[in-house]
Amino acid sequence: MKATPGNGFAPWLPDDGPAAATGLAWFDSRRAKARAQVRDQGIPTTKHEAWRYTSLTRLLEQGFTPTAEATTPLQPRDLEPLLVPGLDAYRVVLVNGRFIPGLSDLQHLPAGVRVGGLAQILKSDPDALKDRLNGVVGESQPLFAALNTAGLDDGVVVLLERGAQLERPIELIHLSVGMDEPRVAQPRHIVVLEAGAQASLIERYVSLGEALYCTNSVLELSLGRDAVLKHQRIQTESANAFHIAGLYLSLGAGSRYQCVTVGLGAAWARTDLNVRFAGEHAECDLQGLYLAGDRQLMDFHLDVDHRLPQCSSRENFKGILYGKGRAVFDGRVYVAKDAQRTDAAMSNRNLLLSEGAEVDTKPQLEINADDVKCSHGTTVGQIEPEQLFYLRSRGLSAPLARRMLCLGFAGEILDCLTPDALRDQVAEQVGSRLELAPID
Amino acid sequence: MLSVKGLKANVGDKEILKGLDLEIGRGEVHAIMGPNGSGKSTLAHVLSGREGYTVTGGSVTFEGQDLLDLEPEARAHLGLFLAFQYPVELPGVNNTYFLKAALNAIRKARGEPELDAVSFLRLMKEKLKVLHLDDSLLKRPVNFGFSGGEKKRNEIFQMAILEPKLAILDETDSGLDIDALRIVADGVNALRSPERSVILVTHYQRLLDYIQPDYVHVLAKGQIIRSGGKELALELEDKGYGWLGAEEAA
Repeated sequence: MKATPGNGFAPWLPDDGPAAATGLAWFDSRRAKARAQVRDQGIPTTKHEAWRYTSLTRLLEQGFTPTAEATTPLQPRDLEPLLVPGLDAYRVVLVNGRFIPGLSDLQHLPAGVRVGGLAQILKSDPDALKDRLNGVVGESQPLFAALNTAGLDDGVVVLLERGAQLERPIELIHLSVGMDEPRVAQPRHIVVLEAGAQASLIERYVSLGEALYCTNSVLELSLGRDAVLKHQRIQTESANAFHIAGLYLSLGAGSRYQCVTVGLGAAWARTDLNVRFAGEHAECDLQGLYLAGDRQLMDFHLDVDHRLPQCSSRENFKGILYGKGRAVFDGRVYVAKDAQRTDAAMSNRNLLLSEGAEVDTKPQLEINADDVKCSHGTTVGQIEPEQLFYLRSRGLSAPLARRMLCLGFAGEILDCLTPDALRDQVAEQVGSRLELAPID
Repeated sequence: MLSVKGLKANVGDKEILKGLDLEIGRGEVHAIMGPNGSGKSTLAHVLSGREGYTVTGGSVTFEGQDLLDLEPEARAHLGLFLAFQYPVELPGVNNTYFLKAALNAIRKARGEPELDAVSFLRLMKEKLKVLHLDDSLLKRPVNFGFSGGEKKRNEIFQMAILEPKLAILDETDSGLDIDALRIVADGVNALRSPERSVILVTHYQRLLDYIQPDYVHVLAKGQIIRSGGKELALELEDKGYGWLGAEEAA
């Protein structure tokens, strides 16, 4: 099918002929259903609440099509410039959405931990995924999750059995390289921590060159009772890239989940974090930092569903906008009628460094219970002239002083990154972007 | 070292400094005293290059350069330092990181080699010792969550690290209890040298019990109306500012 905006997202999907059938009845029927959902939803416009501030026109105009390429000529040494110096981790590498075992390093995984490619596991052990794939996303899939289901070709599966613990983090590298045509990759990741399991996951989105491509990834995560996961996402896609990420989380009783998400790259980036509490006394901590400059859009949507009592959630997002950069923060915390003693605090603070920068921020609390502790706050401000003068009076040039204040503003989120090797690299990336930022 | 001639400055349409003259020599400590609204802080701000003031007349030369032409950072590079009356809080900006960047910016501007992390840390520890300060100061964000006294001490600490040729202390004594005042004064005294000049801007004579000035000037209505030795401060303590105002009018 020819890729034109008139065809909507249909060109994103592989051909729907008999050859596309995998022979896995449940899988093929879920795909067919998702395909129908994509068709039925049409193209959301800015009249749709979830897309009120973000038009899909620019995304559709690119004419993305999927790629059949499942291999890569890249060698491990090609990855070296993309690594975090000093980060000791199990490494899973995807190139243009496909798991590449030859670039990955999964040696010495302890007993009770399974990490592998989704396509591979679908072939060798499909039953392991039958209840997991779309298990958290659910039946009524939003557009990009439905697209992912209908078009998914690979991804990563991480399974930790009851009580399993990982000493080193799992680093999931999404590497994109330019291809003959603008391509879309739609990886699906499934992360399951059974009761009492503990792990740390670092997702990094990187590219070689300034290629035009699109990533539409979906991550389904479920934490069992008392499981603990630290999840860090560093998005430094190519300046021409389109990045769409949907995170679907189900948090079991007493589990603790922390997500630190940093958005620096891509021309157009949309991240949806959907959190559903599946047991009481679970804790969810979402920390976010985003930068956007000329021709860049950073769009974060949070949907935290306190459907059960006694859970807590923190949503703390900070943004720095410069040039003609744009950002959207749409955060919703829903507290169900029976979700008593919910503790939720949402905050979104933004620093605008130029006249042309823009942020639309919309924090919402929807509270139906009466015994809760909930708050939200949002700020949009500029660098304080007094702070700038103070630093300049100590000998720092105005650009350096501004950068120092911005890094100070971002520091609260950067300091959540672990280990220090990761923190230092991301802080440096933030610093160098600010160094290039035009300031008026 | 510093020569102020006929300086006039406005805030908005209001003239605050009305032709001010001041000469500061190397190694001298000058106290500038005066009632509220006399223009003391305006003088400190104009000298350090703060925005919001318009110089309408006069000249300021510092180390042979036209100071008023320079950006605030260039003034710091030349050796000017302002200890703020209200030090600004910088959440997220680490004190050590900030001071190292500041010192190295100054050194770089002067064509001196930058200090590496180890030498800088050694310098910090040495200055903390001289000023009897706790090294928890190094890890904290600049002035953030500091008490009033801690903020003033941090100003003196920065001065010790940056080693200015001319330090302007803008009402550094205000809001300090007697112990904190003594610590700040000890710090300033420890930094006195034949190479370093100090301007103490203050409302009260109290600070001058601890830091002995070489000269005392009285600023009123935007002009220096009286200059003398340290005995002038004592006279002010006795009689207040009123008698000078009367004298000026006469």
